[in-house]
Amino acid sequence: MIELERVSKRYQMGGEVVTALDEVCFSIGAHEYVALIGPSGSGKSTMMNIIGCLDSADSGIYRLDGQDITRYTARQLAAIRNRKIGFIFQQFNLLQKLTAYENVELPLIYQGLGLGERRIRVNAAMERVGLADRMRHRPNQLSGGQQQRVAIARALVTGPSLILADEPTGNLDSKTSVEIMATLRELNAAGNSILLITHDANVASEAPRRVRIADGRLTEEISEDKKKKK
Amino acid sequence: MTFLQSLKMAFSAIGANKMRSFLTVLGVIIGVIAVVVLTSLGQGALDQVSGQIQNLGTNMLTVTISTTRHTGIDAPTLHALVGHDGITAISPSISGRMTAKAGTETFSCRVEGAEPAFFAIRKMNVTHGRALTPSDEENRLPVAVIGIRVADELFGHRNVIGNTFSLGGREMTIVGLLEEQGTSMMGNEDERIIIPFSLAQRLLRQTSITTFYVSTESEDVIDQSEQALHRFMKARTTEDRDYSVLNQSSILDIFNTTTATLTLMLGGIAGIALLVGGIGIMNIMLVSVTERTREIGIRKAIGAQRTAILSQFLIEAVALSLVGGVLGVACSYLMLTVLRGPLDMPSLTVSMSSLQLALSFSIAIGIIFGIYPANKASLLKPIDALRYE
Ligand SMILES: Nc1ncnc2c1ncn2[C@@H]1O[C@H](COP(=O)(O)OP(=O)(O)O)[C@@H](O)[C@H]1O
Ligand SMILES: [Mg+2]
Repeated sequence: MIELERVSKRYQMGGEVVTALDEVCFSIGAHEYVALIGPSGSGKSTMMNIIGCLDSADSGIYRLDGQDITRYTARQLAAIRNRKIGFIFQQFNLLQKLTAYENVELPLIYQGLGLGERRIRVNAAMERVGLADRMRHRPNQLSGGQQQRVAIARALVTGPSLILADEPTGNLDSKTSVEIMATLRELNAAGNSILLITHDANVASEAPRRVRIADGRLTEEISEDKKKKK
Repeated sequence: MTFLQSLKMAFSAIGANKMRSFLTVLGVIIGVIAVVVLTSLGQGALDQVSGQIQNLGTNMLTVTISTTRHTGIDAPTLHALVGHDGITAISPSISGRMTAKAGTETFSCRVEGAEPAFFAIRKMNVTHGRALTPSDEENRLPVAVIGIRVADELFGHRNVIGNTFSLGGREMTIVGLLEEQGTSMMGNEDERIIIPFSLAQRLLRQTSITTFYVSTESEDVIDQSEQALHRFMKARTTEDRDYSVLNQSSILDIFNTTTATLTLMLGGIAGIALLVGGIGIMNIMLVSVTERTREIGIRKAIGAQRTAILSQFLIEAVALSLVGGVLGVACSYLMLTVLRGPLDMPSLTVSMSSLQLALSFSIAIGIIFGIYPANKASLLKPIDALRYE
């Protein structure tokens, strides 16, 4: 589904060059659930931003569904973010002035879908995250967990093949976190690939496949079933 | 992303910051009011005065003699000009201020000595009674045709035919009442008393003719008549500035061009006000783009195209300025309606042209001053916008 080949990203901080990603090779297959674990500052968000087409790599190749998107235009990248990728952020990133319904509707508006089609899809997505009764609430009228579920509904409403979740439970209490993680598992069961980013080994244990990152370098963790096979 | 959705987003953004939006819009409102009110006033004044000039007749010439030296011009000399060079009628005129008395009422106004032809040349209509006649002139009869303001002031009513008043010690009989004319550049045109020319010469103690009015067959021959009058006057004066010949149609031309220039200048000044309003919009849009950088980042992350962000902010800017334009036109309409009475311009209103001008200007201002902030917003890199705190 996605493939990173020797992808590097460096930041210039004053005179110093920070290598956030160092020749990373990585792939996620269809329907896969992968956790990316690493301490703060290890390059997790940088990697997610590149995979999510929010940022571009300095070197290396990034293939999405077999297409090298390194040279894609801003317009094509926007379309990919819109249709193929769903984002879930630590800070929820909902638009405060819009209702839950309108927030979830927004990606469909950018897709150019008609009102009727949008209503069906938004209702279904809100239903899926269990917020059908909170459609007209604004983010500040919702709890943190509810806000994150609105964000999840927004991420899945377009039916993306890959959902990127950057510390989705980082701002939530443990009980709510459990609920959110359960929702992610359901999404994966329903066929979405998920890349879960976290610094928390507990949270990461949710995922069948785990990848560690430190100082911009990846190391694959031998998964449970592979261990058993050995 | 349809236009309607962009519009909805724009209005919700405007509504989210009501006070700030209002203050921004206020700049445009003031600009539009300036444009509409000033150009309408200019246009109103133009219509009014050119109407007055046209009422005087565009086939009329006015000769004013300014020399104190003897010119030898008297009524018979002038009458001899009639029938040549397209001249159809001439009336000499002298005038001065005198005080009229009737009972205990007194009124000081312009007293004008004129021959019977004067009424036709000056296009003055007598609504009650009659104009002056050759017999009034020949017999120097103490009769007068008066303006309605004189009737109002002296008698308190306008049913005055046959009434008498005293003027310079003479008892004058009112034989006619002039049609209402209102005010002009020269003041109130209804404050005048017209008496036979020969009588006026005595009452005003002035024998030399200072002004005479000439009418021509039509506007077409007026230049020929004007030249004939120049020849006539040159033969009787020594210097060019001893007299002047005023041609109504050329006055109208001059007046039209001056007022048009003036209106343009007023419009220009008003345009600057509108420009300032536009800068206000640009300023607030730039602030808005900065404030909403994160919002832009979120929108881009979920797939907003550059054009969607661009049109969102552009529509917001245009909506702001258009709201200003509409409110400005509404305020202008109220202001002009209020000013109509005091300025005595019954036709004063928001003209179609100034309406179009104001609205198209405010849309243009929105686009011109909105494009830069909108473009700036649309060009933000998604990751930079999303990281912005
Ligand atoms: N925009 C940036 N400018 C400069 N340095 C950055 C920027 N973004 C990230 N970095 C640096 O890159 C490294 C990886 O950052 P990040 O991917 O955000 O880490 P994580 O998400 O794992 O905490 C860090 O050292 C961080 O300081
Ligand atoms: Mg991070």
